[in-house]
Order: sequence, then structure tokens, then C-alpha cells
Amino acid sequence: MTAEAYYGDAYPGMKAAEAQTLALLNQYAAESGAQQGLHPIVYCCSRIKRPESMTQKLRSRGLAPTAENALRAVHDAIGVRAICAFADDVMQLVAWLRTQPALTVLKEKNYYEYPKPNGYRSYHLICQVPVDGTPFFVEIQIRTIANDFWATLEHQLKYKKALPNEALIRSELKRCADEIASVDLSMQTIRDILNETK
Amino acid sequence: MKLLIAEDTQSLSNALVEIFRRNGDTPTAVADGNAALALLTTNEFDAAVLDIMMPGMDGIAVLRAVRARGNRVPVLLLTARSAIDDKVLGFDSGANDYLTKPFEPKELLLRVRAMTRGGAADDTLTYGNISLDRSSFALSSPSGSFRLANREFRLMELLLSTPEHVFTAQRLLEKLWNDAAQADEAAIRIYISYLSRKLGALHADLTIEQRPDGYALCRKEAAA
Repeated sequence: MTAEAYYGDAYPGMKAAEAQTLALLNQYAAESGAQQGLHPIVYCCSRIKRPESMTQKLRSRGLAPTAENALRAVHDAIGVRAICAFADDVMQLVAWLRTQPALTVLKEKNYYEYPKPNGYRSYHLICQVPVDGTPFFVEIQIRTIANDFWATLEHQLKYKKALPNEALIRSELKRCADEIASVDLSMQTIRDILNETK
Repeated sequence: MKLLIAEDTQSLSNALVEIFRRNGDTPTAVADGNAALALLTTNEFDAAVLDIMMPGMDGIAVLRAVRARGNRVPVLLLTARSAIDDKVLGFDSGANDYLTKPFEPKELLLRVRAMTRGGAADDTLTYGNISLDRSSFALSSPSGSFRLANREFRLMELLLSTPEHVFTAQRLLEKLWNDAAQADEAAIRIYISYLSRKLGALHADLTIEQRPDGYALCRKEAAA
């Protein structure tokens, strides 16, 4: 089933909410970049959750797999991700988003400063974005290139078949996450030192 | 502990095997230098007790050959000789310790234990809400962990093993930068900054203070 068929009448509004959120992030990139000659957001991506994936999620929560539930009972039908350059860029972007009238931040999950036990680091914001007066839930994920490098590769690995030595593999992936995050902060530190000496 | 014993006098060799076995170790005995060298180069032993006077290669020659290959296995030399020049030759050839016959079995065990003592006894350093795992290089707090790179790790290890102590820049250079000619205080500042950043990100109740005379890892003062 196509997303248009599944989400039905809501689909154009969802695409508009997705586009508005991306536009807002691009506005931030342009404004802060112009000020500092920097590029705090390296790139953005977005998606409307695929019908198969959404129906699976709703069923696993004991909900009917309807478009209504997809838009109201869960909050990630529309997902937008901003990939930042340096560690400090993440929290600065979060702070900016909280002040934007174009959206309302409803809930924040700070896996960036308080990583998940598996090593995942990312800041999640559940927002409401109005389109012609109708609010849509949008989940915005913000993390650095380094965090995204790990998350993207880990995502491709973990959905393989069950592993005989799963605990070892999990702890090795966690070790990689902690190593990458450590390098990420070292790069931020080097930037700070360069800025001090400018 | 897996021990190699190279001793050509059969009765003494048997006695040594018995001493280490009773101590809970796993000794392997050989009676000549060539066999000792062949086994030591496998890296399968945690320490070796070498007699100096042996048929074939003597203990000194075995030791030199082992060290020439970059093998740093702890070695105790055992000999009837007690002249100071022999001891100098033994240590200069790379021995970790030296014991003259006759000896007390208890002293032999103590010396072998001393020369094989590593940092393994206490694998984690802890101060405040921060811990450093010496085997995994993980710097952790209740809110997360980072895996440190080599020199960052050694700097953190030094600071955490003597918290509240002020290390001068000179002392840090001596301990962490072997080639002090290439390093200066700017290098130290970068590494201190890396660690300060990571402690901050871990919500540590510790901070690295920069004092006029150096650096110290300290408890954060409650906000005034």
C-alpha cells in the first residue's frame, strides 16, 4: 500500500508539515551560518513512516492500524532529522527550536546528553506543526555526524538474524559508540581552542 | 600463573616445580637453555625462573635472546654466583630480579610475585561519580561513558589515582610525553581540555582545576 492510500486525506497536510519543518531547519542553517561563517547543520532528511512499518507499530501497541491512530496515537508518522557538525551545535539547535512560533515542542527525549544503554546518542523532540490550522505531530531527531555514523551503521547491523554471541556484539557496539562520542567531543574541544586563539 | 623453570640440576628442578605447584601456579620445567628459549618465545608464560649455569645456552644468553626479540616476560635469574659483577651482568642483560642459591622458597615466591605484579589488582579507579576502567579505557558516570584514547586515558589515570593532588606541567610531560622535546604546555592544555569536556558531558561532580602551579582533579565546589 502506498503512503498516500494509507494516510488518505491527511497525506497532503503531512507532506506540508514535513516541508515546513525542513524549511524551518534550513532557516536556522542560513541564519546561524551567515553569522558565524559556519555550517551547524550538515544536512537534513525526512520521511513519512511507511504504512507497513506504521501498522506494525500500532499493532504492537494493541491499537487498530488506522490512519487516525497513526496520526493521533503515535507521534512519529512524520519524521525529520537534522545532522549537526559539532557536539555543541546539537543543544544550540534544540534551544532555538524551542523558541520558534512555527512549531510547538510537546515532549523532549534527551538521549544526547543521557545516552541509551546501547550507546545511542540523539536528541528527540515531539512537536506539533500546524498546517492551515490543523496540527500535525512531527518527531525531530538531532545529532552530530559522528552520532549519525554510528546510528546508521548500527541500524543496518542489528536487524540481522539472532546472534549466538549477542551480548558480546552488543557490548562491542556500545564500545564503538563511546569511542566515537569521545572523538566527537575531542573535535569540539579542538574547535573551542581554535576559536579562543582567533 | 604459568611459569617456565629452566634448571639443569634435577633435584633442584623438582623442588622448584613443587614450590610453585603448592603456591597454585602452573610450572613447566626444562633442563637446558635452548629448550627454555624455544618455550619463552611462544609468549605462553607469565614469568620465568632461569638458572645461569646450564648446558647449551646459559641463562644470560637465553635472557638476551628473549629481550632481543622485544619479549618483556618477567625473568628471575637463579644462580650459585653471588659476586656483584654477576648481578650487574644479569640485570644489564634484562633480568627483573636475581636470587642466589641457597634460597628460602618463601623468598623465591615473594620475588616472583613482586616482579609479576601489574595493575590488575584494582582494575577500576573511582572518585566522586566518575570511574575509569583500566582494561577497557572507559570513563563512566551514571549518565554515560566515553572510551578514551591512549594518552587521554593515561592522563585521566594519573589524575584519578591521586585526586586533589596538583601535578605540575613538567611532571605531566615527564609521565605522559616520553619525548619532552616535542611536547610543551600547549599539548597538556589540549588533553586537559578533552578530559574537562568529557567530564562535563558525563555530568561529573569532579572538575580539573587549573592552578598557578599545575592541574588537579577536584570535587566540584557546591555552587556559591
